[in-house]
Amino acid sequence: MATVVPSALEVSEELQVVLGDELPEQVTLWQDAWRRLTRNRMAVIGMVIIGFFLVVALLSFVWTPYETWRQGLGPTYQGPTLKHPLGLDDFGRDILSRVMGGAGIALSVGVGASLVASAIGIVLGLLAGFYRGKIDVAISLLINVSYGVPDLLIALILVVLIGRGIQNIILAISVTAWLGMARLVRGQTLALREREFVEAARSIGTKNLKILSRHILPNALGPIVVQATYLVPAAIIFEAFLSLLGLGVPPPAPSWGRMAVEGYKAIQIAPHIVLVPCIALSLTVLAFNWVGDGLRDAIDPRMRR
Amino acid sequence: MFGGREVTRGTLVYAFQRLVLITFTAVIVSSIVFIGVHQLPGNAFASEHRATAGTEAALLHHYHLDLPWPQQYVLWLEGLAHGDLGESLVNLGTQITPLLLREVKVSLTLGLAAVLVTIGVGMSLGVLAAIRQNTWIDYTASTAAVIGYSVPSFVWAFLLILLTVSGFYAWTGGAIYEDIGWGKIEQIPVPALALGLPYAAIVARLTRASMLEVIRQDYVRTAWAKGLTARVVILRHALRNALIPVATILGPLVTGIITGSVVIEYLFGIPGLGQEFVTSILSRDYNVVIGVFTFYAALIGLANLTVDLLYPVLDPRIRY
Repeated sequence: MATVVPSALEVSEELQVVLGDELPEQVTLWQDAWRRLTRNRMAVIGMVIIGFFLVVALLSFVWTPYETWRQGLGPTYQGPTLKHPLGLDDFGRDILSRVMGGAGIALSVGVGASLVASAIGIVLGLLAGFYRGKIDVAISLLINVSYGVPDLLIALILVVLIGRGIQNIILAISVTAWLGMARLVRGQTLALREREFVEAARSIGTKNLKILSRHILPNALGPIVVQATYLVPAAIIFEAFLSLLGLGVPPPAPSWGRMAVEGYKAIQIAPHIVLVPCIALSLTVLAFNWVGDGLRDAIDPRMRR
Repeated sequence: MFGGREVTRGTLVYAFQRLVLITFTAVIVSSIVFIGVHQLPGNAFASEHRATAGTEAALLHHYHLDLPWPQQYVLWLEGLAHGDLGESLVNLGTQITPLLLREVKVSLTLGLAAVLVTIGVGMSLGVLAAIRQNTWIDYTASTAAVIGYSVPSFVWAFLLILLTVSGFYAWTGGAIYEDIGWGKIEQIPVPALALGLPYAAIVARLTRASMLEVIRQDYVRTAWAKGLTARVVILRHALRNALIPVATILGPLVTGIITGSVVIEYLFGIPGLGQEFVTSILSRDYNVVIGVFTFYAALIGLANLTVDLLYPVLDPRIRY
């Protein structure tokens, strides 16, 4: 046996046996993306910050040091003290408690609006890209006309019409936030529907619904996840805009935008009332943008920087 | 810097088609708002219990609010065709078209100043980061860009107000102070900075990326080789071509600045379109609300058209 020159086939079989344990481990796209994401320093810092605010937000639903609405806890406009580490506002309310409550509102609105807008955008984008024709013309017209109006105005008018509860705010933001997602998904679908694997699926008689859900959607999921991540900070800023203009979640709910604008009139004597919610908001937005950038690079390495 | 290029007939035809489309969009948008608003129960006078039944009926008649809405809509369209957006429901006798024309000038001044901030700060940072790639300048500029983008315009506004209103005033013993409001030249920079800085960060990122690509190209090496000064190579040869990808975000940027100006005008007490919208929607002055929508739709359309007409100037390969 030792004298016989082995054929190519035998070598490869032997090699497989020898190298069996050392073959590169099979990883899915998502495992690979996760690995790249956790190697990205900024994305990890972003995830830690988001995790921190998430814990604070969940905690605020059951416990805050003081009730967020309780007034007259001490001298109004008081700066940071041991009892109130972030000071008191113009009504003598505890700012730490209110910032915690604000995290709950910001994250509920941010994540909620991102989910609702993504769902609308994905469905309409898939329909427009896959069926083309009249459906595409109708949806694209809707998107293009909506792009001609500032989204904030539409949200403001909706909030006046339907009321200012947190679900209504999420709805008012989602009404315009889905546009970008629909455009993205439509483009992806238009490209994917021409690919061979979709053609193959269709040739064996797969139903349209199944082609959309099993073949097209999973292949477009990368950019969708990135876009949905960027939608969260956008919705958080949007909610702050509404609150600043007096049309956000109604008081005494401690929305960050509302806290900032309430402190605005006393910005010279008590800047901490404005600064604390502004810093919390900017930090949250920054963290989501870092994670979004990291996800984008991790899912599609070609788009790196 | 970009050289003279004659306006071709194709460009004119293209611009005309776009203008028709903009008019169409503005009419559609304001019609949707008109019809939506007229489905609401109640009216602007119902809540102010001053009016007797007789005066209320007279008021309703004056504004044609006693007619069924399709008839009101036809009347409103007729007015729109003559450039007449009707009369304010809250401030009797105030014609909306001249009011909004006055306010749009204010908003445009602020918006243009913000665009200057965005492009000036953004491109300088981007070019600087690109030509000093992988040095501390690059890292500082790139970090500043991500942070700048994550800090929304109103937070910039608060920070700048703290700096100018409290800071400068205290440090100079009252010699320098910022007067919040509108009407004087020196009141423009602070709100314009607040409005422009978040978008400057985006422009900086894009400029850096596209500059990095361009400065490695052969024609830039040729420019260096024939002994041109750094200024000429960077500004004339590299930046001019790096601008083309940057120009693609000008459209969304203009929309973003218009949205942001609603909040900035409110915070700084600037009498522009955005401020008017907030006031009118809170007082349920629906005629003004519809008018502002019409103006904004036209404004965004025209801004995007301007950006699209800029492309062939930046890149002569593009023709319409």
